[in-house]
Amino acid sequence: MERPVFQPTGTPVMDLDTPALVVDLDVMDRNIETLHGRFDQSSAKVRPHVTGHQTPKIAHRQLQAANTVGGISVTSVGEAEVFSDAGITDILVSSQIVTRSKIRRLCTLAGSNRIGVAVDNPQNVSDLSQAAEAQGVTLGVLVELDVGLGRCGVAPGDEALELARAVANSPGLRFDGIMAIAPLPSFSSEASDFPERQERDATSWQVLQHVLETRELIEKNSLPVSVVSVGGTHNYDVAAGMAGITEVQAGSYPLMDHLYCRMRPEFSPAAKVLAAVISRPTGESAVLDAGHKATGPDRGLAVLEGVAGAQAVRFSAEHGVLDLQSGPAQNMKSGDKAWLVPFNLGLCFNQYDYVRAVRGDKLEGFWPIAGRGRFD
Amino acid sequence: MEQQYRPMPGTPVEELETPCLILDMDALDHNMDVMADYYEGRDSKLRPHSKNHKTPALAHRQIRRGGTVGGVCSAKVSEAEVMVHGGIPSVFITSEVAAPLKIDRLCSLARQAEMLVACDNAENARDLSKAAAAQGVDLGVVIELETGLRRCGVQEMEQGVTLAKAIDALPGLTFKGIMSHQTIPDMPEREDRVTEGYRVIQNVIDMKDAIVAAGIPVEIVSTGETWSYDVAGEIPGVTEVQGGSYLVMETGYGYMTDFHYSGKVLTTVISAPRPGVAIADAGQKAVSTLRGLPEVEGLPGVTVDSMDPDHVILHLDSGIQLTPGDQITLIPSQQDATVSRWDRFIGVRDGKVETVWDIQARGCHN
Repeated sequence: MERPVFQPTGTPVMDLDTPALVVDLDVMDRNIETLHGRFDQSSAKVRPHVTGHQTPKIAHRQLQAANTVGGISVTSVGEAEVFSDAGITDILVSSQIVTRSKIRRLCTLAGSNRIGVAVDNPQNVSDLSQAAEAQGVTLGVLVELDVGLGRCGVAPGDEALELARAVANSPGLRFDGIMAIAPLPSFSSEASDFPERQERDATSWQVLQHVLETRELIEKNSLPVSVVSVGGTHNYDVAAGMAGITEVQAGSYPLMDHLYCRMRPEFSPAAKVLAAVISRPTGESAVLDAGHKATGPDRGLAVLEGVAGAQAVRFSAEHGVLDLQSGPAQNMKSGDKAWLVPFNLGLCFNQYDYVRAVRGDKLEGFWPIAGRGRFD
Repeated sequence: MEQQYRPMPGTPVEELETPCLILDMDALDHNMDVMADYYEGRDSKLRPHSKNHKTPALAHRQIRRGGTVGGVCSAKVSEAEVMVHGGIPSVFITSEVAAPLKIDRLCSLARQAEMLVACDNAENARDLSKAAAAQGVDLGVVIELETGLRRCGVQEMEQGVTLAKAIDALPGLTFKGIMSHQTIPDMPEREDRVTEGYRVIQNVIDMKDAIVAAGIPVEIVSTGETWSYDVAGEIPGVTEVQGGSYLVMETGYGYMTDFHYSGKVLTTVISAPRPGVAIADAGQKAVSTLRGLPEVEGLPGVTVDSMDPDHVILHLDSGIQLTPGDQITLIPSQQDATVSRWDRFIGVRDGKVETVWDIQARGCHN
């Protein structure tokens, strides 16, 4: 487990022992306000997806903001257990839960919480039903549609209808509706080659339209669809503007990361890694005490912020190497601090047990990333 | 973390909650045997790197098996704390420790164990000296020499000799010797590894000779790693070799056929939505993909197509079917970056859980 120096509240952020995962609460609050505010005029609400930050304190702040459904979504039963322990009582596990022991744990959670789960095959529906009945609980079930992600989910249309019927006819299960995770626009980590915003929005609209068509089909067949759960930070405003969508599972917006900031400039990065220079082996290079293990680089490398003329060029497991291209940057000395913006939020939080909450450059506290490592 | 899953010994693998990080105990013991058999009776010894497993129980097992210096390497001060508190008597921090807070923690450890630390500049040496003298402890200091990694380390011979003299004169410090890391060349042929090993390690030997010629004794020459364990160990003058990857192994080191894969991630199929595709419950939070996707063990026709943070997407050759609930075993391409995502190893032998080890230093970045 991480062994930070638990410095007292009020410690200036630049005095924190490094590497340190830091969240700027002012920036986070603004990000939350921006996204939740977009739902003022919408029939849809926000269901924060917390699998990125895994931090109950942050989840509670999201639920305290306007326009939420009052619950969250997670990826695993282990995460659901953590957030249930943290007092959150409406939890959607937006993934398939198939093994006997995990289904049992899910049903146990449903004894004292409103629990939802995604399904994409009839055998799983029957397993969930049997277990829920045996434990005397009700599971809310969403049929997952694959609308282009190429991961889990049934095809929109008849296949979804058939599965919805199976759910509706299964004791112990409550057919709540449908969900879909829309793919991100394709990107390269090298260049800013995202499709134009307008084009992206049109694609999102089309994808979500498939979900709404399936909703219509299911309702025409006399099955009420009370939940249509879609979207994310990359298309929240498109989803908010479409009648018939009831909730948006956005996750990245409170903290952001390098990738999402490029897609969504209305949000700012609130979570960064503070690192320190430990060596100046040559005039043009500095070595940081944060490497792969402290930044979570599997989907792209962290980006150095705020040192003009310098760039993070290489990381190894425990170290990051800066290329100091021009004058002022070359004055960096051992002990100097630098900020790294993670490329992917979830993979970075995955490496820590605590996030240092900071407001106005002063430490407010060490918040446990309680869901970290709960892949189970 | 406390409430995390901990299966009872004897639990069959098929009943394990997934994803989980398993250690094949036979492969683990084999890998330790190879190192012990090589280093026992040699002048040079192994100093196992604990950054790879972050687990005191495994460090003790490595030391007990033999062929080691009786201590370990660590990458970070907090990692060293876990090793010292876990009873390891000698820890070498193979990185520069610059922050005053960390230097104080390091000095406090020196009351409980022999502490060695890497250093590449005189100012840092003075900071270490001041803190060690103030706390009344002795730090062993090892100069890091840059030999191709383009990271930390003194860049040239003269610099090294000057730094050795400076350290030798400082209170609270004992000049111990020199160390160097090398990059991992992707060299499947042993002959190439020998040539490359001799080439880079010769720089370290030259520097040792220069420091000795300046009248300062050099007790430690610490270099090499898994890819050069049988090269560095042959070079006269090398006193210890920093091997770590050999223990858990990875497909990236697949050409080091002396060692077997012991660390694997067990995952379960959660969805088989279309012919030719299955999705399982281990993603990039559970398996490092930085040096490539993991390999699927023992299932011909099933390969990893891609991964996202929470899922692995499997490609199935035509005619192959997987069903939700089926277990898949993944062999990661990079072991330490995978281990550092987990809080626990589940040691498995003959298809049953033998032991569960807490990866106590996971997350120890400071």
